[in-house]
Amino acid sequence: MIDITKDDFSLDDLIKRAKSDDAGAIVTFLGTVRDDGIKKMELEAFREAAMQELEQIEEEAVSRFHLKSLDIVHRVGPLSVGDNIVAIVCSAAHRDEAFQGCRYVIEELKSRAPIWKKEIREKGDRWVGSE
Amino acid sequence: MKVKVRAFASFREILGREREMEMKDGSTVADLLGDLAMASQRFREAAFDDSGQLRDYVLLMKNRKRIDSQQDLKSELCEGDEVAVFPPVAGG
Repeated sequence: MIDITKDDFSLDDLIKRAKSDDAGAIVTFLGTVRDDGIKKMELEAFREAAMQELEQIEEEAVSRFHLKSLDIVHRVGPLSVGDNIVAIVCSAAHRDEAFQGCRYVIEELKSRAPIWKKEIREKGDRWVGSE
Repeated sequence: MKVKVRAFASFREILGREREMEMKDGSTVADLLGDLAMASQRFREAAFDDSGQLRDYVLLMKNRKRIDSQQDLKSELCEGDEVAVFPPVAGG
C-alpha cells in the first residue's frame, strides 16, 4: 500500500498488515520532524508524480530484496516537531532482506520522489535542499 | 496551443500552483520557460543565472516524466502538455 496523506497513520496498524506466515522479519522506518529550532514544517508533494515514483520504487524493492510486503505512507501539509512524516514497513522471509529493502526504499524516496519540506522558523522560512 | 504549467515548492510561491500558457505551434520547453521568465521577473531571477543559463536546481517534468533541464529544453510541446517546474526534492 502506498499513500500520500494529510492524516496521521498508525505504525502498529501497518505492522499488523505486514504480518504473514511466510514473513520472518518486519523492518520499519519512521521519519519524524526533528527540533532544529523550527516552529513548524510544511510538506508538499506533486501527488500524481510522487505516487508514480513510489510505485516504481516499490516494484524495484520487492523484486530486488524478495519482500513479502511493503507499505509506504508519506504525509503532506503542516506538521509540528515530533509529528510523523513517513513510514516504511517491509516484510521478508529473513532480516537481511527486510533491512536492505527498507534502507533502499527510504534512500530512493528521498532522492527521487517529488516531495518537498519547508521549515518555518522565527527568522524566516526555508525550503530544504533548495540552496 | 495551450500548455499547462504546474509549479511546486519555491516555484509555486513565485508562479502559483497552476497556470495555462498559450504557446505558438512548434514551441519548445525552452520557449515556455522564456515566456514564464518574461511574465515574472521573480521567476527569471530564480530560474536563470546572469548569463541566461537555466540554474542547475531547476528541475522539470513533461507529462510526469523527468526531462533533463539542459538536454531536453529543445523538445517540442504539444497541445495539452503538462510541464512541472520544481526545485530539488527533499521528502522523507
